Amino acid sequence: MKPILTGGEMERYDRQILIPEIGVAGQEKLKRARVLICGAGGLGSPAALCLAAAGIGSITLIDHDQVALSNLNRQILHGDADIGRWKVDSARETLGRLNPHLNLKTSTARIGAENALAWAAGHDVLIDALDNMATRYALNRAALETGAAFIHGAVHGFEGRALTVIPGRSACLRCLHRGEAPEAGRFPVIGVTPAVIGAIQAAEAIKYLTGIGELLAGRMVVYDGLRARWSEFKVNKNPECDHCGRPSERNTP
Amino acid sequence: MSVTVNIHKTHRQFTAGLEAVPADGETVGDCLSNLIERYPQMKTALWDAKGRLKNQIEIYVNMESAYPDELGKRVNPGDQIHITVMLAGG
Repeated sequence: MKPILTGGEMERYDRQILIPEIGVAGQEKLKRARVLICGAGGLGSPAALCLAAAGIGSITLIDHDQVALSNLNRQILHGDADIGRWKVDSARETLGRLNPHLNLKTSTARIGAENALAWAAGHDVLIDALDNMATRYALNRAALETGAAFIHGAVHGFEGRALTVIPGRSACLRCLHRGEAPEAGRFPVIGVTPAVIGAIQAAEAIKYLTGIGELLAGRMVVYDGLRARWSEFKVNKNPECDHCGRPSERNTP
Repeated sequence: MSVTVNIHKTHRQFTAGLEAVPADGETVGDCLSNLIERYPQMKTALWDAKGRLKNQIEIYVNMESAYPDELGKRVNPGDQIHITVMLAGG
């Protein structure tokens, strides 16, 4: 049988293949994996960089925005010369330089309730690198319908949080919240916070795809960067959740 | 011995800077009412115009989500309530 990894890839990923839990078999799983990253901003930048570097075979990156000067304190896929370009174009260059083996698809589509399912289809993992709750809920629902793992991340100031949703097994994002909330708008944030959370999201994706370790399923971590403290909250499936609860008990279609 | 209510960073401006406030009550709802009696500005931080818990407020009891019936959740002396806020930024 022809090896999946080339000699160059074996050398590129040598240090992580040395991790007993990963090995060649795990690396091959990463190469076969298909990950959707929604957002190429504060969270999407570190998540995409970590996943591309780790050898995820196929990534779809979606963002409908262009690079602005005020993005550059945290959106490390982009640089000064990229201001005004589509974020996904800038990201394509950065990720291509990092790892030419990556099969990257990009789109400037705006993800919403009407198209989240279509974008989610064909992916093993959906990374929530979004900046608003409405789209997060759309992606959460798409994950539940496709069975893809949904890895939530969010930041504000020095505070961040992450939660992994395994459809059918663990609480979903809607099991936590009763509905819409004010949008973040021009929220305060410093780059280290999404760097931490985006890297955790990438780690969750890698563990899920290779079937190793323990996921943040049913437990949400909250990072207080100012204090350098972590909290962990248990999150239970809500039987009456309007996204993942029993159909007879859902209060919306 | 009372219940300890841990206050989110964005709400500490309403609790004289305190990160944790003791409160009395048999349910989360009682404890929050007790908290608001002493720190009235917490009322608008927690409740919407219709007197319901705001959508972006999350309540945890002993590090476990109390959603969806947060206010009715029974608490015992020594329990820890955490009030946190949904984050939307990315």
